[in-house]
Amino acid sequence: MSGGGYAAQNGAGGSYTNGPSQNPVGVYSSNQGLMAPPLTGFMNSLTTKGPPPPGPNPYITGRHQPSPVAPPPSSWSGVAPPPSSYSQHPQPGVTPPPVAPPPSSYSQHPQPGVMPPPVAPPPSSYSQHPQPGVTPPPVAPPPSSYSQHPQPGIMPPPVAPPPSSYSQHPQPGVTPPPVAPPPSSYSQHPQPGVMLPPVAPPPSSWSGVTQAPVAPPPSSWSGVTPTPVAPPPRSWSGVTSTPVAPPPVGNHTGPGPYSTGTRLPPVFQNTMQPPAALQQGLYQAQPGQMIRPPAYHSPSAPALYTQVQPSGSAAQLSPSLAAMSLQSQTPEALRVVNLLQERNILPSGAVTPPTPCLPQDLQKINCCPEVFRCTLTSIPQTQALLNKAKLPLGLLLHPFKDLSQLPVVTSSNIVRCRSCRTYINPFVTFVDARRWKCNLCHRVNDVPEEFMYNPVSRSYGAPHKRPEVQNATIEFIAPSEYMLRPPQPAVYLFVLDVSHNAVETGYLDVVCQSLLENLDSLPGDSRTKIGFITFDSTIHFYNLQEGLSQPQMLIVSDIDDVFLPSPDSLLVNLSECKELVQDLLTGLPQMFSSTMETQSGLGPALQAGFKLLSPTGGRISVFQTQLPTVGIGALKPREEPGQKAHAKEVQHLNPATDFYKKLALDCSGHHVAVDLFLLSAQYCDLSSLGCISRYSAGSVYYYPSYHRQRSPAQTERFQRDLKRYLTRKIGFEAVMRIRCTKGLSIHTFHGNFFVRSTDLLSLANVNPDAGFAVQMSIEENLLDLQAVSFQAALLYTSSKGERRIRVHTLCLPVVNSLSDIFAGADVQAITALLASMAVDRSVTASLGDARDALINAAIDSLSSYRSSVLSVQQPGLLAPACLRLLPLYILALLKHRAFRTSASTRLDERVFSMFQLKSQPLPFLMLTVHPGLYRADDLSDEGALNVSERTIPQPRALQLSVEKLSRDAAFLMDCGTVLYLWIGRNCNPVFLTQVLGVESYAAVPLNMDQLPELDTAESSRIRALIDWLRERRPFHPVLHVIRDESPLKAEFLQYLIEDLSESALSYYEFLLHLQQQICK
Amino acid sequence: MVLQTMIVRVADSLPLAASMQEDEQSGRDLQKYQSQAKQLCRKLNEQSPARCTLEAGAMSFHYAIEKGVCYLALCEAAFPKKLVFGYLEELEREFSEQYGAKVLSVSRPYFFIEFDTYIQKTKKLYVDGRARRNLGSVNSELHDVQRIMVANIEEVLQRGEALSALDSKASNLSSLSKKYRSDAKYLNTRSTYAKVAAGAVILITLIVYVRFWWL
Repeated sequence: MSGGGYAAQNGAGGSYTNGPSQNPVGVYSSNQGLMAPPLTGFMNSLTTKGPPPPGPNPYITGRHQPSPVAPPPSSWSGVAPPPSSYSQHPQPGVTPPPVAPPPSSYSQHPQPGVMPPPVAPPPSSYSQHPQPGVTPPPVAPPPSSYSQHPQPGIMPPPVAPPPSSYSQHPQPGVTPPPVAPPPSSYSQHPQPGVMLPPVAPPPSSWSGVTQAPVAPPPSSWSGVTPTPVAPPPRSWSGVTSTPVAPPPVGNHTGPGPYSTGTRLPPVFQNTMQPPAALQQGLYQAQPGQMIRPPAYHSPSAPALYTQVQPSGSAAQLSPSLAAMSLQSQTPEALRVVNLLQERNILPSGAVTPPTPCLPQDLQKINCCPEVFRCTLTSIPQTQALLNKAKLPLGLLLHPFKDLSQLPVVTSSNIVRCRSCRTYINPFVTFVDARRWKCNLCHRVNDVPEEFMYNPVSRSYGAPHKRPEVQNATIEFIAPSEYMLRPPQPAVYLFVLDVSHNAVETGYLDVVCQSLLENLDSLPGDSRTKIGFITFDSTIHFYNLQEGLSQPQMLIVSDIDDVFLPSPDSLLVNLSECKELVQDLLTGLPQMFSSTMETQSGLGPALQAGFKLLSPTGGRISVFQTQLPTVGIGALKPREEPGQKAHAKEVQHLNPATDFYKKLALDCSGHHVAVDLFLLSAQYCDLSSLGCISRYSAGSVYYYPSYHRQRSPAQTERFQRDLKRYLTRKIGFEAVMRIRCTKGLSIHTFHGNFFVRSTDLLSLANVNPDAGFAVQMSIEENLLDLQAVSFQAALLYTSSKGERRIRVHTLCLPVVNSLSDIFAGADVQAITALLASMAVDRSVTASLGDARDALINAAIDSLSSYRSSVLSVQQPGLLAPACLRLLPLYILALLKHRAFRTSASTRLDERVFSMFQLKSQPLPFLMLTVHPGLYRADDLSDEGALNVSERTIPQPRALQLSVEKLSRDAAFLMDCGTVLYLWIGRNCNPVFLTQVLGVESYAAVPLNMDQLPELDTAESSRIRALIDWLRERRPFHPVLHVIRDESPLKAEFLQYLIEDLSESALSYYEFLLHLQQQICK
Repeated sequence: MVLQTMIVRVADSLPLAASMQEDEQSGRDLQKYQSQAKQLCRKLNEQSPARCTLEAGAMSFHYAIEKGVCYLALCEAAFPKKLVFGYLEELEREFSEQYGAKVLSVSRPYFFIEFDTYIQKTKKLYVDGRARRNLGSVNSELHDVQRIMVANIEEVLQRGEALSALDSKASNLSSLSKKYRSDAKYLNTRSTYAKVAAGAVILITLIVYVRFWWL
């Protein structure tokens, strides 16, 4: 990018800076270039709802300027009055830079702080703000207050003593944050900065602000204005204390309850920032604050002056900020943690992803981390920098996740970049009202005429207000250009194993029963088709044609050359032939009850299924209970009993034949996906069979040792999983393309799909439970970019025959320092990506290699952190706070079924775990890697969550170590697919009677899979917790109540990964090992 | 054999319903015909003949336009025309009864894709040799089938191109003639200037001559 282009494009930075400074109009226009929405929003904001936009600009400018510009201190010192005012802001005291002035200001503070009357009122008013502000953010009030400010501000500044004006500013500024998310966006810190921009008379503005949220701002405001003159001092004191001092205090020292309370809440709600991020934000903010003063006072005429500052400040927002934060104080994410000394490193709640350091208005609309996550939320500028950080760069996607709200746009012309075909998204910039600049390839495109009209607000001429530009996740109804053929109907084919072994397990009853129950809720419309094939050593088709009195079975025994006995009537319209289908399902389990056929010809049955579905596409659900033994695709047992013991080298992770892969590719080409349900007690060679699903974008379910009578818990799980499987959303003939900003390139994909071209994944079916991961590298330096974007577009046909495109766009800042990269590391995403990479490694090389690679990943990143980021070398194993869980997670992976070396891991289970690691969405994957452990016998309603009138206790997550278990208590372990409730030998008898309904410990049954529904508070609490845990995942975890004598105790203990196990280190030993390697 | 059926709104060639082609076994590549069908739909407008058969090699397109909706079928060339138009009429009757009122208001392609079920059933009826006998009534109803226009698909698809070529030639011609006109004007003025200049020179010479030699 040429320099000019850069400035324009980054506009974000540049334009912003300019914008604020001078006349609003000019500024705005410039802003538009950057972020279309804000600008217009701003202009409109007064009348409509523009709160966020206006806020951000000023903020940004304020911040930017400060950071890059050295002047802050000098200007500061230079100006006599400002210091005092300043001091208050800084009070944060925390920030070191404003060393001298602060004291003076401080002294002042106390007074204001002391004066209770003024202080108290503001807080209360404040507290109110957050709520109104949060919910109705886009309400008119904020903007109006804003607009008004400028005018009053201008007049007063000269008149009033600088300090007062200053203090006042903050207030107005403060108010906006709570109201409108954008301002706060940057990092709440900005607020102080924000305040500055609105130069309005402090007192008046302030009062106006406070009231504004509650009552109509303008009116209250006007009323207030008159007062300002007399009250200034008080209001000031009050103001200063509340807005300025509190924030820092709250976070750092703790005193300022209200201020923090008021501000933080909104932030939390909006951005869901983790506490760490928050603090970090504050830190950064402090620098920003300090800077502001200079800017502020210099422009005594607020509006005009501001411009000056911006110009000085370069566009480098984030780097400068980061630098600032580093100097002043280490952000929370980078707090140095000595892992050898800190034992309790688990956060009290869920581990939350870091929030990208983006302007708040961008962050607010950024893609939800549950859908789209990056391992590094700050993208390094160059590949060299990335190599130095030794952290993997990649994306984790959950593109078809069930969303509670999803904007859907119907438009005959979907606006896309003409050169890279990127869909228009919130992170493009509008060069002017008629042109937009692509954020991926930087081409300038025209805005089509239709796009000028906004169907939501029914207004014309505001393209940046369109839903496409307001939502990072959006769905389009595709016009006919996106269809190569008419949308296919939903087609479901069930291929059932009916050999003796299969009948023995009794799974047929469950499948047929579930299907009967869910026949009406299969996704689809009146075109939905359904068909059945059963197989043992022959293949049985079922003629279900309308008009027959009962289903007709057609047997094809020539399995070497499979043909379809009756092409028309094997797949039938579900709504027209429902009775026949029901007949069949009712009779099927009995039909084979006395079969003696033990052979299984899975390969030919799959071929038949493919032939049946290839004209339309659809979904094949295969239920298999043993190793296929006849026909093409027959397999031989490869698992040798002795081989399990060979620790490091596990053989046979690779498929034994490429038949299944080839067939899967054929299927994929004809939009057919194969889902595999494996219910088997013996070895089934899942690594070969699994290929059929992996390459056709299907899913794999595995129920080891399934037996209807002998394992009722498995049956329950199978039933629930089937229900979910049959009724969940489905997308047919799908493709997904992932694009990223020029300079980045995607080189490896993980998940179930077929890669059709470099960035195009062919998904015959897409389901809401499928996750994907990609690895990326930086091919060209991102030197003049401030942010990069990633866009995943999923084109699919819904079960109702609509062609739809779901587009997710994620925007992340670019940084140039190693410490920023570490500060933005997302430890869960890194773990998940490393796990996927390790699976690949163990298949291509060996399990031992994969394990070493995992350990090395931890060693490399921590030693890189130690050598490049830490300036002071301390003893111990040091990690930044954001990566403090990395060694723990790596150890958990090493002890995970997929990678562990203990003798008890069966090959199929290992392979299945590997499949899961590659194809599960991140949150579920993390549960299987690092289970949650909670104390279950003292649940209380304290801190409980309220979901739709249910109270769900939120116990603290404990470390996975025996030392945390106590004989006097009961513990609940959540391992993703299974829940264990461990009862201690001396467990409180009240718990036993009230929750388990038994008299004593000895009376606890050995195989207890359900909690009795007792009418006690304890029972309802723990059941609420378990139900809540279950609801949040697409599969059904079974519950095992276990005690010391239970056979499942060994499995339970295996999940205590921090302890020493037969073949692996304990957590502490592992840390010592890492330390040794790092210091070597 | 009816290979493909499409129902399209004529005004903007928005596909309303279609039957999936189910001809994988026969191995014929229908992609080409499918794109031809799409092009054809784009060419259709209110002025197009209401019924027409277009020959495309071994295949024929047959279409009927009723109430702004075009019913298009792709058949083997040998397939009896009578049957095809009977089939299209049948579709038309059912479609306009079920969805006729909504046709103008939809904007999503294949909005009535569920009509596919009916199309397939009807198709089976017409294609199946044994059932065909039951359609004797069709024969009498379709008395005017013979008068249906027959054309070649290539011609139809290229007709537009020929017209646009003609159009571009005409506009080319008109711009050239305009240029000629302005050039001619320019030349005229130039020659006028030359004449005036020559006259002036002669006049001056005359005056000078008279001035110095005669006086």
